[in-house]
Amino acid sequence: MSFAPANAHGRVALVVLAVVAAAVWFLPAYYTGLLTLIGIYSLVTIGLNLFMGYAGQVSLGQAAFVGIGAYTSAVLAVDLHVTPWLGAVGGAAVAALVAYVLSFVALRLRENLLALATLALGIVINVVFNEWEFIGGSSGFKDIPGFTLGAFTFDPRAYAILSWALVAAGIWFAGNLVRSSFGRTLIAISAGELGAQALGVDPEKLKRQTFVLSAVYAGVAGAVYASYQSYIDPSSFSFLLSVNFVLMSVIGGLRSLWGAVIGAAIVVALGQVLQALVPLVLPSARGDFQQFFLGAVLIAILILLPRGLAGRLSEARRA
Amino acid sequence: MIAQIWQYVLGGVVDGAIFALVAAGFVLIYQVTGIINFAQGEFVMVGGMTAASLAAAGMPPLGAAAIAVLVAACVGALSYLLAIRPARAATGVTLIFITLGLDVALRGLALFVWGTNPYSLPAFSGGNAVKLFGGALPPQAMWVLGTDLIVFAALYLFFARTYAGTAVRAAVANPPIASTFGIPLRTFAFASFVVAAAIGGLGGVVITPIPGVQYDAGLTYGLAGFVAAVLGGLDSLPGALLGGFVLGIVEHVAGGLLSPGWEQGVGFLILVLVLVLRPQGLLGRAVRRA
Repeated sequence: MSFAPANAHGRVALVVLAVVAAAVWFLPAYYTGLLTLIGIYSLVTIGLNLFMGYAGQVSLGQAAFVGIGAYTSAVLAVDLHVTPWLGAVGGAAVAALVAYVLSFVALRLRENLLALATLALGIVINVVFNEWEFIGGSSGFKDIPGFTLGAFTFDPRAYAILSWALVAAGIWFAGNLVRSSFGRTLIAISAGELGAQALGVDPEKLKRQTFVLSAVYAGVAGAVYASYQSYIDPSSFSFLLSVNFVLMSVIGGLRSLWGAVIGAAIVVALGQVLQALVPLVLPSARGDFQQFFLGAVLIAILILLPRGLAGRLSEARRA
Repeated sequence: MIAQIWQYVLGGVVDGAIFALVAAGFVLIYQVTGIINFAQGEFVMVGGMTAASLAAAGMPPLGAAAIAVLVAACVGALSYLLAIRPARAATGVTLIFITLGLDVALRGLALFVWGTNPYSLPAFSGGNAVKLFGGALPPQAMWVLGTDLIVFAALYLFFARTYAGTAVRAAVANPPIASTFGIPLRTFAFASFVVAAAIGGLGGVVITPIPGVQYDAGLTYGLAGFVAAVLGGLDSLPGALLGGFVLGIVEHVAGGLLSPGWEQGVGFLILVLVLVLRPQGLLGRAVRRA
């Protein structure tokens, strides 16, 4: 596997990072916060797209790995006074370890049963968050220290830049990966495991590596989220968040790295727009009603544009 | 101690009865179409919410219940026509995403119709708690158990004794050949959604007097229903009945003895174990690695 210092994905990612880094100086705090959230979600979704889009698998429990990253980094920072930078590495490592162990259970299954198994494991992990008093139980973790750089403690702008720097790094890495023999083999697996096996590929091993990698992306995102919010509790990492990652992944385009970013941006931004506009028409609308539109968009996309928005865009470009 | 556990078991029987109904809906749809319908729990919510809000508006309980089941059936029909049928070229994973989207959309729709407030429904009959070997069941539990009895008996009679039921079994056993003999597969797929939704809606109507209902109640019912269906065997209706009761009882006893938070956790641990050790479930037939 050879890694180019820059690939097309990486170059675009640098431009996007530069735009974000410039924009946060002009944007109101509210939009900077949204940008940070989109960055964090994008990171998770890029990892998920490798597993679902390229390897052709399905995970309905990705929020659990975000939670593991968040809790690990919080415990390291609060109880052991470890800097969040190392906390993020620790969070990614623990999420990877858990994913590795669980892969022996989950990855023996396919499609429907894999979906159910990842859903179940995600919920069991959430119950552990809730019941384990050492990590705060249902009341969660408070006063998680923020990232620092020398004497500078990260402010909301710095978090926006940090999260998008991670997105850029994540896109660059994944961009190299999908163009390598590893990525092409993943696509072969998604086209049919038997055929891939006949060519000497070990699907089990590749699926495991991809699953672990997706957990690393989620774990890093979780660690940044924990420090950014300075507060986490089990409900932040529920099944509903896992479903939201699936929404982002599918709406943006499963087999596309920028699709992950587009999907995360659409789910967050459309949610905000709908929350602002719909009550003007229907004053009684309350709660997360935007989910109705997101669910409907997901179904419409799967029926009309099975390759997602990003797939559609690249088709249009080629035409 | 024993008396305490017995009371947990009785509580588990009531939960188990509703889990069994949800699981029956899963099994019906899965058998006929091969789809795992992640939106199944929402049919229960729609039934419960419709009945509760109509009753709150002053409608007599029986009328509210009938309309609620009808509304749930219509939601099932529309779900099939708008989301499933247009995607008929789609394969496994895509269909999972579609029913997941349907689940999200229906829960969001419920927010528009009913808001976030919880609703309640009066019990269908008054009277004292039913005593059983020192434990107690609320009177409404009899309605829930009776509904199970009627629904599963009706399903059994339909599949075992009627011409249409035999045709559905033929369609499940070998779709291409059944199709050659003029069996309308697509109509059966449509019907499976309508019937599964009606069963879910009926379950929602009879269970709501006990825990109440709100817009996101379908998630819990749906998740428990999966576990019950997989536990019993995704291709077995008797399995759905057995899986529902086993799950309800195990969850309640574990929740009572450990802590309420573990109730759901134990259920999903069971699901993982079953998927790994016996993917065909307790009463399922063949191992389908799909």
